[in-house]
Amino acid sequence: MEFKQVVGRRRSIRFFEPDKQVEREKIQTILEAARLASCAVNAQWLRAIVVERDKLPKEKLDQLKTPVAALTLDLAPLHIYFFCDLGVVNRIKGERLKELVDVGALAPTHGWSHKFVDDFVYPQILKPMTENLQGYLPAAAADCGGAAHIALLTAFEEGLGACLNTPNPGLVKRVFNVPDDWVPLWVLLVGYPAESWEAGGQRPRPPFEELYFEGEYGTPFARDEKVVERLRGAGMIQAPAPLPGRTEELRELARRFGLPE
Amino acid sequence: MPPSKPVQEFETVRTWFQGLRQQWGEDPNDWDQRLEALAGFCGFVEKDPDTVIKECVRESEAGKRISVKGRRFYNDKIAEWQASLPGDRSAQGRAGNAVRSFLIHNGIFIQSGLQA
Repeated sequence: MEFKQVVGRRRSIRFFEPDKQVEREKIQTILEAARLASCAVNAQWLRAIVVERDKLPKEKLDQLKTPVAALTLDLAPLHIYFFCDLGVVNRIKGERLKELVDVGALAPTHGWSHKFVDDFVYPQILKPMTENLQGYLPAAAADCGGAAHIALLTAFEEGLGACLNTPNPGLVKRVFNVPDDWVPLWVLLVGYPAESWEAGGQRPRPPFEELYFEGEYGTPFARDEKVVERLRGAGMIQAPAPLPGRTEELRELARRFGLPE
Repeated sequence: MPPSKPVQEFETVRTWFQGLRQQWGEDPNDWDQRLEALAGFCGFVEKDPDTVIKECVRESEAGKRISVKGRRFYNDKIAEWQASLPGDRSAQGRAGNAVRSFLIHNGIFIQSGLQA
C-alpha cells in the first residue's frame, strides 16, 4: 500500500474479529517500525509490552478494563501497551547522540562534536531537563506519541485494524510490573477488523484553515484545491463519514456480538 | 417502589426513544419488547426509569457527573436480572441490552461485554 493510502485508510477500528490472531511476524513488524521513528536526541523513550489477550490471565485482563475500553479490550486479540521510559536520558548520558556524530548523522557542519555533547548537551541541557518533570514528561511523551503512531500506521499497512486507547496508568504499572520510571501512555489494540475497512468513512475533522497557519497565528494556511484533488486520487483524502450503509453495518455488528443498540 | 405509571410515560423513556430514532434513523421496530424489558428491570430493582437514571448521575461543583457507584450498581443489577430471565443466553442478553440501551441513550456510558 502506498503511504498516502495508508494514512487515508487509517481509522480507529473498534470491532475486531476476536478469534483471529495476529501473526507474530506482523507484531514484530509493528514494533520494528516504532523503533525507527524519529526521536529527539536519539534517546528512545518508547517501551512496549505486547500482550496476546488470550494468554493474559482473566483477572489481569479484567483489571485492565476501563469503562470506555472494556469492550474493545475483549474484542482485540492483541494489545500493545506503550510506556515512556523517563530514566533513559540519565542512563545513556548523551551516548546515543555521540553515536549520531560517529555515523555522520550529526556533523561539525551543524556544530556537533563529542565534546559538545559531553561538556554541554548532557550536563547543561538534558540532565537539567529531566529534573523538571513538568517540561520533561510532555516532551518525552510527545516523542513516544510519534513512534506509537508509526506503529499504528504500520498495523494498517499490514492489513490489520487498530485503535489507540488510554489505559488506567496505575493499574497498568501494577499488572505488568514495570520499572518505577516507566510512565504508561497508550494501549494499541490490534486485530483483524470485523467491520469493513472503510468503517463508515473518513472521520470528520475541523476545517484545514482552522488548524494551520502561515507566518503567524491568524493567517490560515491557504488550502489549494488542486492538491486536495491529487490527494483524493492517491487515496489519502477519502469519502467522509458517514458512508451509506454504516447504520446497517453497526446494527449487524451489534447483533453479531450481542451489544446494545 | 414499582413504577407509578406505564414506563413509556417517563421523561427518560421518551429521551431513550428519541435517541434510538436519531441513532438509527427510524423508529425502533422492537419498541414494545424494549419497553417490556425495561419495565421488567424496573420491577426487579423496584425503581422507576427516571430514578434509575438519576441514581447514575451525581452533581458536583464542576457540574453533572456519571456516578461510578451508581453505574456499577446498575451494571451489576442488569447482569443479575438478565441471568434470572427464562430463555437462552442470547434472549437474556437481548433483554439486558435493552436496559443498557436505555442508560446509554440517557447519557450513561456503559459497556456490556459480548452477549452473543
